Amino acid sequence: MKLGIIDLDTGNIASLIAAIRKLDLKFKICKSQFDCEDVDQLILPGVGAFKDFMEKIKTNKVDKLLNDKLSKKMSILGICAGFQVLFDKSYEFGENKGLSYLNGEIESFKNYSKNIKIPHVGWNECKILNKNKLFEGIEDNSDFYFTHSYMLKNVNKDMILTETKYGIDFASSVKLKNIYGVQFHPEKSQINGLKLLKNFYDYC
Amino acid sequence: MLKKRIIISLTFLEGVLFRTKNFIPDYRYTKNFIDLWSIDELMIIDISDKKFSKDFLNLINFFSTSCFVPLSVGGGIKSLQDADLYFKNGADKILLGSGTINNPLIANEISMKYGKQSIIQALDCKKNSNNIMNYSVYSESGKNNLNIDPTTFGKTALSYGVGEILINSIDNDGSLLGFDIPLIDKVSKELDCPIIALGGAGNWSHFFELFDRTDISACCTQNIFHLTEHSIISLKKFLRNHNIKIRK
Repeated sequence: MKLGIIDLDTGNIASLIAAIRKLDLKFKICKSQFDCEDVDQLILPGVGAFKDFMEKIKTNKVDKLLNDKLSKKMSILGICAGFQVLFDKSYEFGENKGLSYLNGEIESFKNYSKNIKIPHVGWNECKILNKNKLFEGIEDNSDFYFTHSYMLKNVNKDMILTETKYGIDFASSVKLKNIYGVQFHPEKSQINGLKLLKNFYDYC
Repeated sequence: MLKKRIIISLTFLEGVLFRTKNFIPDYRYTKNFIDLWSIDELMIIDISDKKFSKDFLNLINFFSTSCFVPLSVGGGIKSLQDADLYFKNGADKILLGSGTINNPLIANEISMKYGKQSIIQALDCKKNSNNIMNYSVYSESGKNNLNIDPTTFGKTALSYGVGEILINSIDNDGSLLGFDIPLIDKVSKELDCPIIALGGAGNWSHFFELFDRTDISACCTQNIFHLTEHSIISLKKFLRNHNIKIRK
């Protein structure tokens, strides 16, 4: 097995690479379609704003690459902004279209609770709703590190793996067929995060 | 439930870990003694005259590849290019100090590129002598009174794209007498973002008092004696026993 990490030059993927190295997994960094030819799984990490991230995806033709890999039943894991773009649209800085692989919308926490500190930063619990190999060996209500101002709403309950509470309950990880996504940062979530990345590599 | 964060802040002079009180170098402690598994977040700050040295960039790299928690880096950031250099070497967030105080557009540029969650603005605050509830933000390591109150400054910083605010109490820093609760409580109530408190912690009760009496998100300690052996583990246990939500 070989893991491909998509690098869109949007910030720090060094910590993700450090985590993958610590786990001693085979990986390569993918900057273009050509780099991805011999990989078996993909991680789409992302930081920053939804709109900028989608623009980078389009400019670098990563959308075409993902379409192609998904049609071949390859597993994909989206992290943070890379998780949000998997859905229909986001309302961050106006309405922006996502990749629409999954149905759901990305909305501000502020729409649901006024007295809340934004961004949602820090360690928060993930309550398991649907059991999946991605969380194999990880205790229910384990803490993961989050940093974001927008969250997933209007999503089919069946695809929610875990839910997290910040003012309201929101979906902090999802799975539909071969598409996986996590709002938190496994690469910055110490032992639980490393375990999740290893699970993705081993079972997904 | 979102947990309260315990952040360790380490200051380095020419690549050597410094005790911050009175800036005494102490070669007994090195970067290797810190228990990176018990902390929630790490902050490293360069206090050397010459910033962006190879030694410091190597330190960023060392911590970013060995801690697996968010890493904030500060010291001398005056432009987007300076921030780029820290991010490129493994920083998840950068800490802005007084270097950008006269040009908040820099925070905006960094925010556009890396997102607001990646910027912490540090405010060095001091009580005004005429009124005990009145505070000013200072620049240049506490030498220069900017005559702006922390909330006003904080609101401006947030409007330029900063994500978190670090409140350092100059009066309490290094005192070991506890955090400046009135200052922190006031700023935390008035600002809409996560607030990190720094300066003054002497014992574990001071951390409890901070979390019990304010709705602050995180606290930061740079007292080297808090970092030895199992100190952070024992601090976290102490806080959990007092019903503060802390990560195990």
